Amino acid sequence: MGQILSALGVVILGVAACAGYFWGSNVILDRIYPPRGPNAGANIMRANTIRPWLFVGPALFALTIYLIYPVFASVWLSLHDRSGETFVGTSNYTWMLNDPEFRQSFRNNMLWLLIVPAGATFFGLLAAAVTDRIWWGNIAKSLIFLPMAISFIGASVIWKFIYDYRGEGQPEIGLLNAIVVGLGGEPHAWITMPFWNNVFLMVILIWIQTGFAMVILSAALRGIPEETIEAAVLDGASPLQIFFKIKVPQIWGTIAVVWTTITILVLKVFDIVLAMTNGQWNTQVLANLMFNWMFRGGGDFGRGAAIAVIIMVLVIPIMIWNIRNASKEQ
Amino acid sequence: MRAWYCASAAAGLSLFAGVAGAQDLKFAPGEDARFNWASYDEFAASHDLSGQTLSIFGPWLGPDKELIESVLAYFEAATGADVRYAGSDSFEQQIVIDAQAGSASNIAVFPQPGLLKDLAAKGLVTPLDSATADWVRENYAAGDSWVDLGSTNGELYGFFYKADLKSLVWYVPENFEDAGYEVPETMEDLLALSQQIVDDGGTPWCIGLGSGDATGWPATDWVEDLLLRLQSPEVYDGWVTNEIPFDDPRVVEAIDAFGTFARNDDWVAGGAAAVATTDFRDSPQGLFQSPPACYLHKQASFIPSFFPAGTEVGLDADFFYFPAWEEKDLGKPVLGAGTVFGITNDSPAAHAFIDFLKTPIAHEVWMAQSGFLTPFKGVNLDAYATDSQRQMGEILLGATTFRFDASDLMPGRVGAGAFWTGMVDYVGGEDAEAVAKNIQGVWNALN
Amino acid sequence: MEGIAGRNPLVTWLVHISAALLVIIWTVPTMGLFISSLRDKDQIAVSGWWTALSGSEQNLVERTAAPDEAVERDGTWVLEGNLFGENEGTVSAFGWRAQEPAAFQPGETAELRGGETLTVEKDGTYILSSVEQPEGKRGQRIFFTSLQPPKFTLDNYRNVLFSQGIGRSFINSLTVTIPSTVIPILIAAFAAYALAWMPFPGRALLLATVVGLLVVPLQMSLIPLLQMYNSVGGFLGVPAKTYAGIWLAHTGFGLPLAIYLLRNYMAGLPREIIESARVDGASDFEIFVKIILPLSFPALASFAIFQFLWVWNDLLIAMVFLGNNEEQLVLTGRLRELLGSRGGNWEILTASAFVTIIIPLLVFITLQRYLVRGLLAGSVKGG
Repeated sequence: MGQILSALGVVILGVAACAGYFWGSNVILDRIYPPRGPNAGANIMRANTIRPWLFVGPALFALTIYLIYPVFASVWLSLHDRSGETFVGTSNYTWMLNDPEFRQSFRNNMLWLLIVPAGATFFGLLAAAVTDRIWWGNIAKSLIFLPMAISFIGASVIWKFIYDYRGEGQPEIGLLNAIVVGLGGEPHAWITMPFWNNVFLMVILIWIQTGFAMVILSAALRGIPEETIEAAVLDGASPLQIFFKIKVPQIWGTIAVVWTTITILVLKVFDIVLAMTNGQWNTQVLANLMFNWMFRGGGDFGRGAAIAVIIMVLVIPIMIWNIRNASKEQ
Repeated sequence: MRAWYCASAAAGLSLFAGVAGAQDLKFAPGEDARFNWASYDEFAASHDLSGQTLSIFGPWLGPDKELIESVLAYFEAATGADVRYAGSDSFEQQIVIDAQAGSASNIAVFPQPGLLKDLAAKGLVTPLDSATADWVRENYAAGDSWVDLGSTNGELYGFFYKADLKSLVWYVPENFEDAGYEVPETMEDLLALSQQIVDDGGTPWCIGLGSGDATGWPATDWVEDLLLRLQSPEVYDGWVTNEIPFDDPRVVEAIDAFGTFARNDDWVAGGAAAVATTDFRDSPQGLFQSPPACYLHKQASFIPSFFPAGTEVGLDADFFYFPAWEEKDLGKPVLGAGTVFGITNDSPAAHAFIDFLKTPIAHEVWMAQSGFLTPFKGVNLDAYATDSQRQMGEILLGATTFRFDASDLMPGRVGAGAFWTGMVDYVGGEDAEAVAKNIQGVWNALN
Repeated sequence: MEGIAGRNPLVTWLVHISAALLVIIWTVPTMGLFISSLRDKDQIAVSGWWTALSGSEQNLVERTAAPDEAVERDGTWVLEGNLFGENEGTVSAFGWRAQEPAAFQPGETAELRGGETLTVEKDGTYILSSVEQPEGKRGQRIFFTSLQPPKFTLDNYRNVLFSQGIGRSFINSLTVTIPSTVIPILIAAFAAYALAWMPFPGRALLLATVVGLLVVPLQMSLIPLLQMYNSVGGFLGVPAKTYAGIWLAHTGFGLPLAIYLLRNYMAGLPREIIESARVDGASDFEIFVKIILPLSFPALASFAIFQFLWVWNDLLIAMVFLGNNEEQLVLTGRLRELLGSRGGNWEILTASAFVTIIIPLLVFITLQRYLVRGLLAGSVKGG
């Protein structure tokens, strides 16, 4: 309890300090360039050029330290050897291209990038479409949204109960095997089945992300003007036709936003792979491979950083697309 | 603002930092004659570290954590230092992060000397003095090899404390009695026994390779033990240093020998498909099921920690030496391993702690509990809690051909990476030669 | 909309059924965890959680009392007792050899290897009699099959909360999460206001940078940052791994999303309010505190929930920036540790997993509305 109190104390202190900073710096600025008196006009001008920087200052400072500097540090590290001391040029990158595990991770990552955003968006759209039409839709939405709140590591425990395999002849306690056996099939060790195990891991992330897609797409669907739909109904279009020919094209922009958001998440995700298979049985992905090279078996920062740079490069198109979208809105 | 904020936060927290739990001593000093209390008193008299803290970071969790803490309590009581042990399942990653960033604990407990050497080569470990090397050489059985294992570039960086014996097969004597089986003396007998169990409608082996991030390691012990039984120790040594490549036919043969056990659906509980997914800690449970899921389980000396509660080794479960082929005439090789302590953040208390590990009492306290073996010749063997532990301890002290776990000696990316995943692939059905080639490929690509 | 569906009963049914299916598929995994966490630890590992209500048949092993407790009666040595001890149960079969654990029906008498006879009754009472005085340290093993009634228990939770250190980690997680949620909101709100309503050179560039930083994989920041922390810690004479350190780390990593969400929301506020306040002579600081902040409440709440969930559920940053000793190990770290050390103890795993997800679930359920509103402000604009 004492710890909680001290945390709360720090929160209050921190809030007070932040408020103090913003308020205090404003007061000081107004003292230096008082907005009245003989030079009022010029003073206001000067104060207004400085003030925005007071506002963004702390954020800029934190962003620089926590995100911008590490990006450059990583590029620098990727050109050095395992301890980060000797310059080795691009040899980490040439090693990478020839490394079968890297190629496998890259291939798997591409699969993740194809399947997870598509799956989550598809199910999200489906869920949004059906839950908008029923009286208990809000409850249904809440329940589908729920997995968003669960940590990846918690989700891994949950899904262990789905994919568990007990060997032939023993009662299965994994749900998937129980269903398969119930239908007369053979139990399988799902997470060791090459290729398909990747899909089984992706299912977990789809399960988590569908709620997010659903909520946003549902709002977009509701935003479609009633008149368009009514006109279509009058023309005798079937509900399916209305959905695919009228509604989906209308919310195309939102679908793209959802898609890219999940894509970014997929590139960074490694907790699920780490907790479920740690990349064994050909399930390696780039983020986990990077973690392995950085921190396992003595560590090789050069190679780890090189993989990180590749992840960055993969993200850049999305980054540009995001930035262009954001500036279009302005 | 930030600096001030940090400082005030830190000050707030330090109020709550002094709540170290002083653990009671497991065995009251001076009472039990099995223990070398003189060494304890002498150490206590010559070391005073009151007010100092010593942080120790290691891979031990659960029961093992309680055991190491029971030993640390004596160090605390003797010196007045405040010792904090933290254990982590992801020790191997964490220690690299910490050491590289300079925020490592004072002492790190490495399950693999390879990792310690890696860090030592980067200058992240403080070398131990030459007196310590001499001490190990003199007082440990096969002392030279322990010094070599803990040294890099001619300097000693690691102190071995707590050894494991790998070449053991565990079984339940009553199950053997009920079925009329005899403990096999040779590999030929062991293979025949396995087949007989199958013929009787049972399953001989429980094998589990699962171990979270380290999945696959139990299989490396199998391969190493089998290589020692198929080839001379020199071949083994050559393999460790990669003078003999991983895809050498002799190594591939050992991998395939493991396959005769693990890739045979009739021979392993749950079928070959279950081997890689079964957790190594769950795996021995099969011995105790009704009816037994298996009769034999090959695992190192620490495994009784994971037997069902109340299981007494020697009565409810027992072990025998993983035998060698009679026809090969290679003697009785023993495979072992050990945890090695290194100083990853220099402080006087850390050096004092290494000195503490040289006292018999530091070994005897853990010996008298469970899962601990030591090559230290100065301990009283009577301190071992059970006869079976004493037997293991004697095997260790008297080993003629003793070889250290190869995967712990290979470069981390191989011994704690490619070798593990390779064995998982092999159990999954991949060809032994292809797996070996792959591992050699990773070794070649190291820089 | 209801009108359209209402016209065709078949479509209505299809919609209901597919919605129900989706809900079932999406809740069953979590439900499985919850049910398992309430089951008796012996049952979790031998039968699926969906059979929780039907009881399970288990093969058990017990030992008779130790041989030295045998009493001599009419020339034979007898050992008596009950397999269930204090509890109740029903034996459906028993045996004395490991290979044939169900060779005999209750009430039958089995002859053992040494000539002893063993009888086990339905209620678990057993009699082992022999002509010679029994010897040895351990009693005879009795294998028996027994139908276990369905058992639900809170023991798993009691165990996890009070002896596995989860309780302590719970507090640690709160300590990490609360400041890590509040601090970035404060910093981001000011920055978002400046980016939305204060003209200054480089504003567009700054905004583009923030959007770009949204996608930076944070794994790459770990080593450089930790190195920096150590030099700062060394300089100030404090340890490198402190709560303050992880608060600031989460602040840094949370900022891009916070600024982005809040700026989008603030930019959508009506210009007239701000203009008229400016005309009235209010300073930017006053406008921000008195007008913008209250109006932005939904976006602030939305980000707060997001950040709370993210910090609470984070494993990686906690693993790197916080020590893993008793005083600092957070819930996710503890769960991961339990996964490793208690891999086979499902009762501990399930209960602790549920403890870790209960707080985010509660936060989520109660505050969902705000989360959705803020999310929409962030991503549907223009969609």
